[in-house]
Amino acid sequence: MRHPLLTVIKQGRIKRRQRWLLINSILFATSLALCCAMLMFGNSYYPPQEIWSALTGNAAGGASFAVNTIRFPRMLAGFFAGIAFGIAGNTFQTMLRNPLANPDILGITAGSSVAALICILIFHTSNTVVSIASVIAGLLTVFLIFILSKGKSFSIGRLILVGIGIQAMLSAAISFLLMRGAQEDIPTALRWLNGSLNGAQLDSTIPLMITVILCAPIVAILGRQLGILELGEESATSLGLNTNQTRILLVLTSVAMLAIATATTGPIAFVAFLAGPIAKRLVGVGYSNVIPAGLVGVNLVLAADLIGQFAFTTRYPVGIITGLLGAPYLIYLLIRMNRKGSL
Amino acid sequence: MKTIHQFETKEVVAGYDQKTILHGLDVEIPSNKINVIIGANACGKSTLLKTMARLIKPQSGQVILDGKSIDQIPPKQLARVLGILPQSPIVPEGITVTDLVGRGRYPHQKMFSGWSKKDYEAVAEAMEIMNIAELADRNIDELSGGQRQRVWIAMALTQQTDILFLDEPTTFLDIAYQVEILDLLTDLNRKYGTTIVMVLHDINLSARYADYIFALEKGQLIAEGEPSQVITTDLVKKVFGLDCTVINDPVSLSPMVVPRGRYHVQVNESL
Repeated sequence: MRHPLLTVIKQGRIKRRQRWLLINSILFATSLALCCAMLMFGNSYYPPQEIWSALTGNAAGGASFAVNTIRFPRMLAGFFAGIAFGIAGNTFQTMLRNPLANPDILGITAGSSVAALICILIFHTSNTVVSIASVIAGLLTVFLIFILSKGKSFSIGRLILVGIGIQAMLSAAISFLLMRGAQEDIPTALRWLNGSLNGAQLDSTIPLMITVILCAPIVAILGRQLGILELGEESATSLGLNTNQTRILLVLTSVAMLAIATATTGPIAFVAFLAGPIAKRLVGVGYSNVIPAGLVGVNLVLAADLIGQFAFTTRYPVGIITGLLGAPYLIYLLIRMNRKGSL
Repeated sequence: MKTIHQFETKEVVAGYDQKTILHGLDVEIPSNKINVIIGANACGKSTLLKTMARLIKPQSGQVILDGKSIDQIPPKQLARVLGILPQSPIVPEGITVTDLVGRGRYPHQKMFSGWSKKDYEAVAEAMEIMNIAELADRNIDELSGGQRQRVWIAMALTQQTDILFLDEPTTFLDIAYQVEILDLLTDLNRKYGTTIVMVLHDINLSARYADYIFALEKGQLIAEGEPSQVITTDLVKKVFGLDCTVINDPVSLSPMVVPRGRYHVQVNESL
């Protein structure tokens, strides 16, 4: 008796599922194409077969150096930082049901940057210590935001305002540290203000790779739970989700990825902010947004880095380009939310 | 037919932060019936409902399902017995009706599995009961208040719980939709034996649709029973501080409260 409705429901689901798969395949394909472009282009062009022989250790000096020492680490850093920023941003935005509630605007990225800068400029520590310190600082920033915005009842608006305040303070701290510590080192300064893939090295990219390979699947698996959490505390509890446990796990894994990506490439502006909404626009709501958000992150970082390197006469770091993309979207979002009264 | 459950609260003290609203409440919910909690604003109706539905942890006392305290039951297992429709549920922007209703299947799904045959059937059945079949592929943002409310109840139905809590399911709806929602909930109770526990504002609709009524005043249970026994002029005076006449509803013969007020009173003696 219910056959027509069942068919409608199934067909709708299948249609959305196919779209999800198609979009993910396209995003994956473009990510791979951008990875290849990152390896092929630079001061001089190398064709794919020469890159292959360089990567397998069979190429002459020039190609081997350019590909293995400069381009390959740069590509890897961009790829994994893109996943990290994209997934972490999307997690916060979905969990808090507000695109403004992302690590860039809340100051979580800035918290990690401050810790990394203190380690690098003042204590001259190893990469491992930088990574650990930035993760701890990221978590502390999250904790601080939640404590300060707690009040009588939880309000996302208040949380965002507190986050913006913290972000401003931490940005001032970053500027202060840079003024004090690294007058002669302008590339580093730029990296910590906007994020950059310049000077990415293989050994400093390894902690990022490991973290993303461990954490991204956990967040992806929790995609369904994230969708339940999106329904709000009451509905999620009613559906039998252990909300606190799920939230803690999601925050820990997301902040770990975010902080280590920040320690590796600097805070690449607005990727965490843009990836989730773009992915949502592409795949629609209903299916987990985690994987597409990660892939959109990769596309954004790599494409912006290529644009920054080759589109202008001067080379710009990747964060400047993503910043140029993100700022208008932020303004658009603020205007739209202000109209709807949801701010 | 749904399983018969023994569901009760034992000396429940509950509230928000430091403020205690319920002062040691013992309530036993009759199984497979439509139960309505009535009371004045801020008397603790919603708090009681939320405490029973484990959305609020009691400060002391227990909520007991079949002899077991509900915080001892694994959340997913409990979610297959108790479901709640909150007063103002949150809508994820841009979600389709099917996908939202389908989220109600969460407690029945395993970690990695997609939708099973049972999931599809439960979603279709709930959508049919709530009369929203033609909205399946629509975006929830485009629906009217009454349609949205039916979608939310459908989501609670796909959870296929034996006991369903609803916190003012008819607020913000016009009278036609109010009656429609209450009829649909009655269908659910009569057809499947789902125990329904809800907070309603309208005392006359409560008296008509309830099998059993709980009247609260300042966090205390002051009357319970069938509407014809509970709804009296004295009770209305006590609970709402309102002078009234209670007559028989000409349609359902259930008690009907007619407020007296200060103006327009033409007949002074009780009927």
